[in-house]
Amino acid sequence: MSMEAPGGTAADHGRQGEPAIDLSRLQSEINEEVRRRRAAGDFPPGLERELDAAFARYAPAGAGDNFEDVIGGAETQSYIHADVPTTSRLAVLAFAKRLLRKAMAWYLRFLAQEVTAFAGAITRAVRLLGKRVDVLETVTLLAGERTLAEVRERRAGPDLGRWTALVTAELRAVPGRVLHAESGAGALVAALTGAGADAYGVDPVEALAMEAARAGLDVRADDAVTHVKALPDGALGGLVLSGCVDALPLGEVLELADRAGAVLAPGGILVVLSTGPAAWARAVDPVVADLAPGRPLHPETWRHLLTERGFADLRVEATEDPAARLERVPADVPGAGALNANAERIERLLSGPASYAIVAHRT
Amino acid sequence: MVAVHQVLPVFAPRDAIGNHTAAVRRALRDMGIGGEIFAGEVVPGAGNGARTIREIEPARLAATEPTIWMYHASTGSPVAEWWAAAPGLKILDYHNITPAELLGPWEPAVGVELEHGRRQLVDLVEVTNWALADSSFNEDELRRLGFAWTAVVPILVDTAHLADEAVDAAVLSRLRTRKDAEGGADWLFVSRLLPHKAQHDLIKAFAAYQFAYEPTARLTLVGSVGSARYAEALQDLVDDLGLTPTVRLTGSVPAGELGAHYRVADVYVSASEHEGFGVPLLEAMAHDLPVVAYSCTAVPETVGTGALLVSDKSATALAAAVHRVVSDPGLRAVLVDAGRRRLGELGLAGSTARLRRAMGRILDEAGLPTPVAFAPHRRAPESP
Repeated sequence: MSMEAPGGTAADHGRQGEPAIDLSRLQSEINEEVRRRRAAGDFPPGLERELDAAFARYAPAGAGDNFEDVIGGAETQSYIHADVPTTSRLAVLAFAKRLLRKAMAWYLRFLAQEVTAFAGAITRAVRLLGKRVDVLETVTLLAGERTLAEVRERRAGPDLGRWTALVTAELRAVPGRVLHAESGAGALVAALTGAGADAYGVDPVEALAMEAARAGLDVRADDAVTHVKALPDGALGGLVLSGCVDALPLGEVLELADRAGAVLAPGGILVVLSTGPAAWARAVDPVVADLAPGRPLHPETWRHLLTERGFADLRVEATEDPAARLERVPADVPGAGALNANAERIERLLSGPASYAIVAHRT
Repeated sequence: MVAVHQVLPVFAPRDAIGNHTAAVRRALRDMGIGGEIFAGEVVPGAGNGARTIREIEPARLAATEPTIWMYHASTGSPVAEWWAAAPGLKILDYHNITPAELLGPWEPAVGVELEHGRRQLVDLVEVTNWALADSSFNEDELRRLGFAWTAVVPILVDTAHLADEAVDAAVLSRLRTRKDAEGGADWLFVSRLLPHKAQHDLIKAFAAYQFAYEPTARLTLVGSVGSARYAEALQDLVDDLGLTPTVRLTGSVPAGELGAHYRVADVYVSASEHEGFGVPLLEAMAHDLPVVAYSCTAVPETVGTGALLVSDKSATALAAAVHRVVSDPGLRAVLVDAGRRRLGELGLAGSTARLRRAMGRILDEAGLPTPVAFAPHRRAPESP
């Protein structure tokens, strides 16, 4: 299909009767339609969450990546019985099947018991292995969910309020949906929606997601990495990452960066809101600092990671940490120039930004 | 006479690969190349003189004439090993193997079979002389696995006659009566009930559509049960969402009844997550249905510009896309026109020409005698 001339609708007939569709314009119009319907309440905030939850009730345990679910499913499947179905549309065939089953019962039962014993041994071995891995996870810094949950409860992420204006200015007009992960109680989602973006959020703390839902916001209780991994490629126009990028293990942060490049449509915008590593170490609860499976990255590290993944037009904005500011010597004191220059160098070396935002464009 | 014997795990009637196999045999015969169809299991009614592999001795067949064995790969099967052991030159025709992670959680045994199929495919690299794929998507996968000689030959479908079935008038009348009485759009999707065909996503999108646009709309899911657990979950989901009066899972239906559904539908919607080609998409186009499809795997290649492809299949996005197509007659007309053109591009003549070109190269490389009926066509210039 050729591109349509300006004016008219996304679907028109071109010059020589050749049908034409401006696909990008059509997609924008459809996105706008979704946004309008959401705003009007025709698509209620919790609709997709409820639909997903409805199907999840019937999906088999083990359809996801949860180890307990998968091993539980394997254990259920490991029991093999010998009751071969004998139904048939033809009565004579059903009779013959019943006869055969009866005649072969001794043989099938023996085989079923052998296979059950084998499958049971395998699943038991895998469960024991799982327990060993659990122990390893518990005693290492990468303590996984338990530590992370504690960190989340006591997290001291960047003050998102100071970035609201930047985020809304960057993302209010992007085509497609905007996701904020982790969105907490949805303050940024509310600001984005208010500015005209089709925004939703995910947060692993269910209470926060519920609080947002009560406020009429589309915030789902979901893990940021899991959610972003499950999104189809090109599904988003904008993506805001906060919170998770301060606390997740490095491997998962890298995975998030990888997926961010995939789930954003070309031209989409990524905003990373994070805490300066030094400021984080100073400000954060020592329990959190010691138990956190991950640490915030330096803005230059993000710049490197995102450039490596094909993002362009990167912009870093940072806020200073007043707590890290050293007192300056009055200018009229002898040697003030050298002392103050040293103070500046020390600040630069030891402090870094309090928090920062990185804006990057998907090419 | 050169013989190309085709081998596949199951040869069944009304099956895309079975139909393709029969069409390949007809096309090869037109080229002056003989050959039979052999399968691990021949389902009654499949016809075409197909025999099971247990009825033949490959060495004896290969001894009587220059022989090439063509294997249609779509799952793990001991038939692949039988084919690999057969004496002579070999063509692998790859129709894609569904990733096990999409099916395994629902049907563990099938998941294991699919994983076995992928491992088997790697083993077949060594014994395969030439590999065909029915889409570039499939060809890319073959190349990644190490198949050195590959070519794309689309599924041989007579797109000009995809809508020629004798419609079941009684069913058509019943469906039209209901449509007239209730109003609302009819959504249609045709495929076996399997998790990677994502009928559950269609049901969710349809629920959103009913909620926001047309409470009287209907969704018909035609297709036999591929996974009993999944089919049960779909029915539970339909009941849970209160959609029982408007969502219908018909199971497998005769061709005449399927034709009636195509004629009553307003839009064909696919949320499928994995297609190696996607014949029902073409059937929908042949019935002048606008197609809205989730853009993944070989779907974009199959539909070309003949469908509205969406990259976001969340319930609301898909519902809004369908609403746009249903409510915009201009867009609908453009999509139907584009669908017709796409059918022309994927017509039997074009696909057969690609098979002919591939076979020409294969016979040349094999140093096998060129059939008389084949020769004039081999000199035809290749399209870019």
